[in-house]
Amino acid sequence: MNPMRCATAIVGMGRAMAWKTDPEPKTPLLLAAVAARQAMATAGIRRDQVGALFTGRTPQSYMVLQYNQALLNELKIGPMFSSEVSSHGGGSLGAIQLAATALNAGVIDYALCVTNEASGIWMDQVGSNAAWEGDLQFEAPYGPSTPSIYAQTFCRYMHEYGVTPEQAAQVAVENRRWALHHPHAAMRNKGPITVEDVLASRMIATPLRMLDCAVWYPGGIATAVVLTRADIATARHAEQTWIAGFGQCNTHEWVGERMGGWGYAPFEDGPDLIQTGAGVAAKQAYAMSGLAPKDMDLAETSAPFSYANLMMLEEMGFCPRGEGGRFVADGGIAYEGGLPFNTNGGYLSFGQVAQGLYNLKELVDQLHGRAEGKPVPGAAAGIVHMHGGPLACHSVVILTKERLT
Amino acid sequence: MSEAPVTDWSRGLELKAGDWFIGLYQPSPETTGYWQGVARHELLLKNCPACDRHFHPKRIVCTECGSDALEWKRASGRGEVYSFSEVHRAPSAAFAGATPYVVGLVKLEEGVHLFTRFVDAPVGIGTKVAVDFRPLELGNLMPVFRPEGA
Repeated sequence: MNPMRCATAIVGMGRAMAWKTDPEPKTPLLLAAVAARQAMATAGIRRDQVGALFTGRTPQSYMVLQYNQALLNELKIGPMFSSEVSSHGGGSLGAIQLAATALNAGVIDYALCVTNEASGIWMDQVGSNAAWEGDLQFEAPYGPSTPSIYAQTFCRYMHEYGVTPEQAAQVAVENRRWALHHPHAAMRNKGPITVEDVLASRMIATPLRMLDCAVWYPGGIATAVVLTRADIATARHAEQTWIAGFGQCNTHEWVGERMGGWGYAPFEDGPDLIQTGAGVAAKQAYAMSGLAPKDMDLAETSAPFSYANLMMLEEMGFCPRGEGGRFVADGGIAYEGGLPFNTNGGYLSFGQVAQGLYNLKELVDQLHGRAEGKPVPGAAAGIVHMHGGPLACHSVVILTKERLT
Repeated sequence: MSEAPVTDWSRGLELKAGDWFIGLYQPSPETTGYWQGVARHELLLKNCPACDRHFHPKRIVCTECGSDALEWKRASGRGEVYSFSEVHRAPSAAFAGATPYVVGLVKLEEGVHLFTRFVDAPVGIGTKVAVDFRPLELGNLMPVFRPEGA
């Protein structure tokens, strides 16, 4: 058995939110500080017990050098480790993995991981994100929008595997169904949609239409977790959520760079646009946990476009490569009877906050039977995927409600 | 947001890279040669003389042998469309007047993939294309690719 299987537990969690429409706009730092204090309070730990502070990368709406230190100022803590984990949005779950590693080396007892963004309040996300998703010297001068960069992969995915826009559109339909039940989903009041609605929506960047694209979250979310080792988690804490397995794979920066890689997973034989680090990360996580895709009661992913959800279902092992379209068309993630998938509505209908642990929080809440939206009754295990950059940095965590022995 | 061209690392060669934030993404000592080639209407790639392998113009060390003695080598300028997308909603005001336009990846004969603009005629995956040089919306001269015979 892998010694890291269920060696770490989440014992505290906090979340702070703000909306674009709030009378007083809130900064990401304020949200992070509030979420962090809440996580420490629910874990019942003192400031002097925090051995590590890991944040995701600096929020785009709060560009400072060393965001971790800005947050540390506010919390008045003096951890042994303090760092941004800056693998684009993949750093969110990546922070948890570094924390688990440090905790089980025995050099610290508690780690605090905080990730957040509030770009929906402070920025023109369409314009600014395009400048963040491409190489600013060799790609941005050609005028790519963020969807047009991701569309390169959709174009190849259809070409190589025969996936259709109709199959991809089904993801948007299913995500919306979940979002209608979630009090914090961006599209909670927008009603259900059909495949026809998706295919009739405005063309953004071929073959991606508006309803194929993630909606930018109209606000900000900070999520914080406190983690500790198994022995401390069971001796001192009332509630644990177990990190059964984790994995991570970071392969490139920009899409042009991706096409220059070979000799490492998943590009052993040369680059392509379909294989991603998510598959590598998921295999690592399953191997660590001793669990298989069939053991997952639900799955959450950060895929920001309809077709990318099909690819992530393949990468997480729910169907073979190239079969994502057929899997979804055959009811694989059907709201009734399929794999509960993106149970907060996903990036397409919950919304994209650019980075964060809100997908992780959704999974933790589901496992403990306190989902904010529609519950998945009896869920005991689930998988969460986060990525950042143009399908560049992937991290995966498998959580269980009970400690696997 | 300043409209002033950035000239510090590029030794006088103008390059505006997007209208938001350019940080250090200017021609650097490792990439200036590429833009000098573009100004002469030549497409250059990095090449490792020891391995005779071509690389993206950004590469600093040879992925094969680790050498940092990469040299500029002129590419044939021919390749095929690897993937593409027609942009209907522009990323910023600077490009709004140009929609729809096609961005994508070209696979050059040398095996290197470049992000680019496809111009003059519709393309599909596998369309044979050749390099041309055009000033694009930000004002700088860029290599673009057009279907052969178009």
